Amino acid sequence: MLFNSIDFLIFFIFVTTLYFALPHRFRWFLLLVASCVFYMFFKPEYILILGFTIVIDYYAGIKIESAKSPGARKRFLVLSLIANIGVLAVFKYYNFINDNITGLCNLFGYDNHIPYLKIILPIGLSFHTFQAMSYTIEVYRGNQKAERHFGIYSLYVMFYPQLVAGPIERPQNMLHQFWEKYTWDYDRVMGGLRLMAWGLFKKVVIADRLSIVVDAMYNGTYGYNTIWVIIGTFFFAYQIYCDFSGYSDIALGSAKVMGFTLMKNFNYPFQAKTITDYWRRWHISLSTWFSDYLYTPIVINKRDWGKWAVVFGLVITFFISGLWHGAGWPFIIWGVLHGIAMSYEFLTKKWRKKTMSKLPVWLNNTLSQLLVFIFLQFVWIFFRADSFRTAFKVIKGIFNYENFFAQVPAFTAALKYSLVVGFVVLAHFLVFEKLWRNEKFQAMLNQSVYGKYAVYAYMFLVFIFFGSFKNAQSFIYFQF
Amino acid sequence: MEQSQILQQLNDIFKDVLDNDDIVLTDITTANDIEEWDSLYHIQLVVAIEKHFKIKFTASEIQSWKNVGDMANAVKSKLAA
Repeated sequence: MLFNSIDFLIFFIFVTTLYFALPHRFRWFLLLVASCVFYMFFKPEYILILGFTIVIDYYAGIKIESAKSPGARKRFLVLSLIANIGVLAVFKYYNFINDNITGLCNLFGYDNHIPYLKIILPIGLSFHTFQAMSYTIEVYRGNQKAERHFGIYSLYVMFYPQLVAGPIERPQNMLHQFWEKYTWDYDRVMGGLRLMAWGLFKKVVIADRLSIVVDAMYNGTYGYNTIWVIIGTFFFAYQIYCDFSGYSDIALGSAKVMGFTLMKNFNYPFQAKTITDYWRRWHISLSTWFSDYLYTPIVINKRDWGKWAVVFGLVITFFISGLWHGAGWPFIIWGVLHGIAMSYEFLTKKWRKKTMSKLPVWLNNTLSQLLVFIFLQFVWIFFRADSFRTAFKVIKGIFNYENFFAQVPAFTAALKYSLVVGFVVLAHFLVFEKLWRNEKFQAMLNQSVYGKYAVYAYMFLVFIFFGSFKNAQSFIYFQF
Repeated sequence: MEQSQILQQLNDIFKDVLDNDDIVLTDITTANDIEEWDSLYHIQLVVAIEKHFKIKFTASEIQSWKNVGDMANAVKSKLAA
């Protein structure tokens, strides 16, 4: 079920009302059934995959905790990891691996006879398998008690707000919340609803509008030239940010309405002054996952290599992170470029600190932010383009100085409209995002009821006039 | 070696590795309190501590530390062993 659909609106009202009406002891069951319904809107039979990993991880957790010998503990952890990574490998990476085998075979003049699988990727697979692995790893490390209640454990994996696109939660933050009794709290409920509305605004008004222009640029229908590529990549940065952080806002908001606190997934990433800083602000639940369970163990293990252990850890981690995002080499390149950028920042930190301190602070900050933003846009070309061919065409387009404005008349009316409106809504977004953080503005909203509703009414009008409603667009991160 | 001596030496290591002379460590200092102390530099600190005290930690020891006090305790028990 998409958050930006009428189905979800009905679902949300129905489930939330029942949630508050039911006594606490029945709520876990309601949420579990609701989460199953939510998931089965996509492809009902895939719920069996979830069932499979849930059963294995549930038993693995208990076995890890009760096992006497370290060897047995490790065996059950490995069993859980194999089950989760195995499911990922079959459903997400099988065809990709087969592609590479075919490529290798062709190189040596052989034919590859391994058949391809005809399957659609289960939605949110990479998210809930990672969340499930976090559980067994934390039980193994002794930071989390094994959950004995099968229903509650299932809910930990399936909780509908964060099931299909995160935040990827940790058991320490999540499991105990299902046992707690949350009562109706007007301010909290309103806060949650506001967050949901803001998320929906980001998705429908900004992301889906910008996507029309971004798609047109990447499709190459109008060729590639400097200004056109700059607009397309610039819009894509805000499209993906609003798409994904909008999703997270709706997730956090709908959980908050019921009393649950999910972890923050975004912290104004485009204000980052380094790529390292960016990864502390973008998809935080994934970057901390990789940091805790992959990067840190690698670096601890290889620490005799000194600084190169960090570089090695970064490149491997971002290689895997690229692969996590999509089964394809362009995603891997996207990841590795991030790993290289962070390694560069790490190795040159002292030197950069000395050099940059000669500049005035404001100039240093502005330049750093700009440089990070340009880097992000550039590497996202690999992320967004459907192949290396397209990616290189787009990159070549940066140096094609043809007159962009001579082409605009050839654009379809819908594209021209979205191009202009895209800048209008983006300006609105940037202003509103600043205003929400401004304390004076918040105080003003709290003092004046009229002022508050005037702002809401204005946003609602922007939503109605400029939102993209043609057909509910899926979220970008659903494919991962 | 006394806990306070260990803390003092840790402080010098932190200043050197993180290139910040203003660092003052206490038992309850965590990575959140020091801007330069992130996951990239954490391991540099561990390596420097191991070299300085001529000890070797296990991976699970390193991952169990919650603050500087835990680090100092780990050093102390390694030196005593």
